[in-house]
Amino acid sequence: MDKRHPSSFQQLEKLGEGTYATVFKGRNGSTGQFVALKEIHLDSEEGTPSTAIREISLMKELKHENIVSLYDVIHTENKLMLVFEYMDKDLKKYMDSYQAPGGGPRGALEANTIKSFMWQLLRGIAFCHENRVLHRDLKPQNLLINTQGQLKLADFGLARAFGIPVNTFSNEVVTLWYRAPDVLLGSRTYNTSIDIWSAGCIMAEMFTGRPLFPGTTNEDQLQKIFRLMGTPSERSWPGISSFPEYKTTWPVYATQELRAILPQMDGLGLQLLGQMLQMRPEMRCSAQQALNHPWFAELNQRSQQQAAAQGQFAPVQGMVAGQQRAY
Amino acid sequence: MAANYWDSTQAKYWTFTNAELAEMRQELADSEQQHDLSTRFPLPDRRLVSIYLQHNLVRLAKRMSLRQQALATALVYIKRYYLRVEIRRTNPYLIMTTAVYLACKMEECPQHIRLMLGEAARQWPEMGVSESSKIGECEFALISTLNSRLIVHHPYRSLAEFTPLFGLTGDEQTLAANIINDSYNTDLSLTSAPHIIAIAAIFLAVVLRPTGQAAQNYTAASSPASLKQVGPKLGKLVDWLAESKVDMGAVVDATQEMISLYEVWEQYHERICRESFAKFMHTANK
Repeated sequence: MDKRHPSSFQQLEKLGEGTYATVFKGRNGSTGQFVALKEIHLDSEEGTPSTAIREISLMKELKHENIVSLYDVIHTENKLMLVFEYMDKDLKKYMDSYQAPGGGPRGALEANTIKSFMWQLLRGIAFCHENRVLHRDLKPQNLLINTQGQLKLADFGLARAFGIPVNTFSNEVVTLWYRAPDVLLGSRTYNTSIDIWSAGCIMAEMFTGRPLFPGTTNEDQLQKIFRLMGTPSERSWPGISSFPEYKTTWPVYATQELRAILPQMDGLGLQLLGQMLQMRPEMRCSAQQALNHPWFAELNQRSQQQAAAQGQFAPVQGMVAGQQRAY
Repeated sequence: MAANYWDSTQAKYWTFTNAELAEMRQELADSEQQHDLSTRFPLPDRRLVSIYLQHNLVRLAKRMSLRQQALATALVYIKRYYLRVEIRRTNPYLIMTTAVYLACKMEECPQHIRLMLGEAARQWPEMGVSESSKIGECEFALISTLNSRLIVHHPYRSLAEFTPLFGLTGDEQTLAANIINDSYNTDLSLTSAPHIIAIAAIFLAVVLRPTGQAAQNYTAASSPASLKQVGPKLGKLVDWLAESKVDMGAVVDATQEMISLYEVWEQYHERICRESFAKFMHTANK
C-alpha cells in the first residue's frame, strides 16, 4: 500500500475543529500506529491558508522531543492532510479530568507532575527560540500529553503575519488569557519573552486548576493582570505611556505577592514564576534561564546522567552547539 | 525567517554539489527525451534565463512594493521547482506569480490573491490566466513539489552580521547586497551555505569598490594570498577567514561562480528569452 495515500489511514473519531482544519484520530493501515490527521481544505480565495503553510514549514524544521512530530504531508485533489504523531490529550482536557487522589480542587495537578510538565514545556520553548521561532499562542489546549507523561508543543502557525490575531478566520476568538501585557498594550516589537509569559500563566494554572488571568476583552485582560501585578506607571515601566493601548484612566492597583494567591507553591517555584511573570518583557527570564533555575535541579541532573549514560554531551547552554557550527 | 541553518531542511534537503545538480538535470532532460523538447525549443544559458526571470520579478515586486526577502525566497522556490520539473512543460509566468504569492505568505507580507493575479496579468499578458483559483492550484502543486520545505535562509542576514565585523562602508554593504541579489541567477542558492555567499559578495564588493575597474581585479580575487595586497580591509577579511572555520575553498568557488556570471551577463538579451519562452508556451503546453 502506498504510504502517502490518504486511504492508507483509517479515519477514526473527530478530535477537534481547529481554526483552519479538522483533526481526526487515525490509524495507519499497515503499522496499526495511531496518528492525528489534520485535514486542511483549500480556499479558492486564499489558496492554502497561510497558517497551514506556516505550520507545515515550521514543523518540517523543528524536530525535538517536546515538539509534536509531523510525519507526513499528503496532497490530494483538493485538500492537504497532515499526519501528526498521536497524543492522548491536551493539557486542558488533562487538567479538566484530573482529580488529585489527596483531594484538593479539581484540575489542580500534583507538584511533581507540574514540575515535569514545566520542564518539558520550557525545553520545547527553548528549542523554538534557539531556532528563532516564536510560538505566539501557547495555552493548555496547544500542549499535548501522552500516556508516558510526555508533553509536546503543538499548533504552530496560529500566529499570523503582523502580530497576534484576535479573530481568526472562523468566528472562534483566540483566547487572551495567556497573552503578555506588552502585546495587550499594542507592542509590535515583541520577542521570545511573550512565550515566557504564557508559560508562567500555564504554570500557575496547573497549581490552582484555574486560569490565572481569565480576561474577557483586551482591556479586562490588562486589568486582571494589573490587579495581581500592580498597575504599571512610567516609574515602574519607563516608556509605558507610549504604548498604543496605554490609558491614564486605569485604576491603580498595588502589587500583590504571588504567594498570597498561590499558597500551594514552594518558595523556589514561586521565585521562578516571579521571573517569568514580569510585566516588562526585558525583565522576563529566557527559557534557558528558566531551565537552569534550581527548581529544576533534580530534573536537570537526571537528564544529564541519562545523556552521559548514552554517551552524549548534554549542553546546559542550548545555544553553544549551534553557535560553534555557525561559520 | 526561522530556524538554525545547519539543522534546516535547506541544508539537509535542498543543498547539492555541482555534480549532483548536473545529474538531476540530466535525469530530468532524459525523462523528456521522447518529446525532444530541448532541441525543438532551445533556451539560452540557464543563467540568462534566470536573469530574465529575476528582471521580471523585480519589476512586479517594485510595483507591489514587496520586500527583497520575499523576492529572494520566490527566486529560490523557482530554482528548486525547475530542478524537479522541466521548464518547457510549465507556464513560467504562472510559476513566477505563484512563487511570489507563496513567498509573501512565508515571509509574513501576504498579498491578496486577486491583487496578485491582477498585477501579474497586467505585467505578463502572455500568462493567459484570468482566474485566481489557478494560482491556488499552482500553489498547491508548488508546495507539494517542494515537499513543504519552504523556509529559506538567505545571505542577507550574514551580510548584516559581517558588516560591522569587517567595518564595511554603506556603499560596500549596498554593493555586497546587490551582488547577493545577482547570486540568485547562479546555482549558489542550491549549492552553498548563506554565509559563504555573503562572504564571497563582501569579497567582491571590497575588491571592486576602490577602483571600480572590475576586470582588473577579477583575477586578483581568484587567489586569497594576492587579495591581501588590494587593501587593508581585505587584509583584515583574509586574516579573519584564515582563523575562522569558514570553508575557504567554498568561498573561492562562490567568488568564481559570480565572476563567470558577470561574464555571461554580457550576452543577456531580454527579447531572446521572451521569445524562446513564447515558443514553448505556445506549442509544448498544448
